[in-house]
Amino acid sequence: MNSTLNRQIANALIWALLLTMPYWIGFVGGYTSLASRVVVLALAAMSLNFLLGFTGVLSFGHAAYFGIGAYGVGMTIKYLAPSTPLGILVGMGVAAAAAAIIGTLIVRLRSVYFAMVTIAFGQVFYFIAYRWNAVTGGDDGLSGWRTLPLDFGIGKLDIAGQPLTFYYFVLALFAVAVGIMALLLRSPFGRTLLAIRENERRARFLGIPVEQHIWMSWLISCVFVSLAGTLYALLNNFADPHDLRWDQSGDFVIMAVLGGMRSFWGPLIGAAIFVVLQDYISSQTENWMSFIGLFFVLIVLFFPRGVVGLLRRKAAS
Amino acid sequence: MTDGPFSMKINRRSVLKAAAAVGVAQVAAPFVISARAADKVKIGLDDPFTGTYAELGKNEKIGCELAVEEINKKGGILGREVELLSEDSTSTNTGTAVQKAHKLIDRDKVDFLLGNVNSAMALATGEVSAQAKVLHIVTGGHTDAVTGTDCHWNVFRVCNTTRMETNSVSQILFNEFGKKWYFITPDYAFGHTLQQGFEASLKKFGGTEAGASLTPLGTTDFSSYLIKAQAANPDVIIFLTAGQDAVNSLKQAVQFGLDKKFHIAGAQQELEVLEGLPENARIGTWVFEWYWNQPNVPHVKEFVAAIRKKNNGKVPTARHWFGYVSTWTCALIANQEKTLDAVKLAKALEGFTLPPEIALMPDKVAYRAGDHQLMPDLYVGHAVSKGAVPEDLFHVDKIVKGTDAALPVSETGCKVTWPA
Repeated sequence: MNSTLNRQIANALIWALLLTMPYWIGFVGGYTSLASRVVVLALAAMSLNFLLGFTGVLSFGHAAYFGIGAYGVGMTIKYLAPSTPLGILVGMGVAAAAAAIIGTLIVRLRSVYFAMVTIAFGQVFYFIAYRWNAVTGGDDGLSGWRTLPLDFGIGKLDIAGQPLTFYYFVLALFAVAVGIMALLLRSPFGRTLLAIRENERRARFLGIPVEQHIWMSWLISCVFVSLAGTLYALLNNFADPHDLRWDQSGDFVIMAVLGGMRSFWGPLIGAAIFVVLQDYISSQTENWMSFIGLFFVLIVLFFPRGVVGLLRRKAAS
Repeated sequence: MTDGPFSMKINRRSVLKAAAAVGVAQVAAPFVISARAADKVKIGLDDPFTGTYAELGKNEKIGCELAVEEINKKGGILGREVELLSEDSTSTNTGTAVQKAHKLIDRDKVDFLLGNVNSAMALATGEVSAQAKVLHIVTGGHTDAVTGTDCHWNVFRVCNTTRMETNSVSQILFNEFGKKWYFITPDYAFGHTLQQGFEASLKKFGGTEAGASLTPLGTTDFSSYLIKAQAANPDVIIFLTAGQDAVNSLKQAVQFGLDKKFHIAGAQQELEVLEGLPENARIGTWVFEWYWNQPNVPHVKEFVAAIRKKNNGKVPTARHWFGYVSTWTCALIANQEKTLDAVKLAKALEGFTLPPEIALMPDKVAYRAGDHQLMPDLYVGHAVSKGAVPEDLFHVDKIVKGTDAALPVSETGCKVTWPA
């Protein structure tokens, strides 16, 4: 009883912080676009964690679907139709199709083999974006398009002009995505995923179609990471082949592990730490990467459950 | 060892606490940032200081710093002191470059934005500055689109387009070294655009393309490509490789003895790269965008001396010049127009001629109206293995005017739309 109350308080606190972030981030040396970036990357890390933390499957190729989302929205606006929502849907749709096909090929693999094959497939998409100069802009990235106002029929909402409006646009989609993931995790489907994570063989003996469940979890995870990708492209007004590369996937894994992959909100904390740390230290020193690396090593060595795990242990003792 | 586990526990706990303290200090540190004075005019430089382009980015920064010192000595901008804020965009992650542009514009409220070395970042940050209505001067990203299909009313560029570089050198190659060319092209957007530029020139002059090898970025062994080039028996082998790829490909070309049989040439070359080459690989015909050894051009000597002082005694490269010119452009135009209004400044910059002490070139150097591209001189010449002084690694054969090398505005694909 007490723990559910605690959880509700934590949830309320997190939402309150997220809702007011643009108003307090300035006091800690940030700015509104940084807040948007935190939320977008948090969504990506939380989506990855749906697979990593709650199904127990490590993917090192999520950047591919992130990037497909980014290119999907950019190319739709540039070549197909001048509509931001349509672009988001196309980006997510293409990513879902790609994930569905690749998912069927790889669900039987486990552990490091799964991770390696996801890297390999991810790099395939990276090289397509990098090499297909005529369509994707190649190494120069996809530019020459911009986020368009939302048209509700009765009026237009310019989400691009004001960083503040864009932040709440991102936060609204974040809330929907995170809400769906939370509901899924509470459902029998989500509980089954946890069972697979804890003991796959046992789950199989119970007659659970393990491969199907992992496939579904992979698909859901990829679709939400592609939503994050579309938002990232809209934030930058740009799609970059680097978005699809394996080191971007690595960043998502770092965020999830940093925050705590057993916790629902852990990756959000991890993403916030990662983004703010990077933004702040890189202004101070050219060797900012080594500080992030050091921080990550300390966390993994001493707090394998991440920052959230550390806080929980503090609360328990 | 009975107290082993106990002392272990204490150790572990203290380590945990120390680590947590370090972590908290990292995150809490932004609190310390003091408000930056509002009465200063701020120029933001968003350039790579880590990774592949770090050296180029840092050299541009030195040029900017020198300019800021000089501007402040001469009374600043509109009587206000000028401050340079620089942010590391990284060399490859465009998302970070965009984030830093937002940081400089949204948080630090810079009046001018400068950068970037990386073409993709120049395009992406140009989009940010256009939306925020901040005057933006691209220092060193060469892709045509910056002042071509993706041009903006507020974006001006100091360095040349790739097309200007190929056009400036191709006439000389064609007239002096032959009409059959082979290309060694790095397989990404920059390499492709350079090759297209040369091919357009070949078509115009009626030459032939003996073939082309696309080399993946980061190739270390160029032998198979060089053998193919040799078999094609061209007059000129054109190396479009950059950075470490340029170093590797040129070294191996010399090992194969290709420089004895064919003429070696290329487009853009930088002093930074020539310095990295072994003496016998400093070969070929190239374009420099600015060169420090111009004995007959006034003010160049003073500039070289000033940079030497800031740069551990090393001479300025084109990158120093880019940073210097970009920063001075902001000051000159703002002081001329007596305003910081970006739209007014951008309009005044169309056709704006740089004074000789800033241009540091023999001919008139001006920002072209229409596509906002600076029209500097280009220095076509050849690399020398050993100069009279150690830094003199390039011998200028011909100076080509930018206006002669550039495509007319109507062919760049640029249509500037001004904010209402």
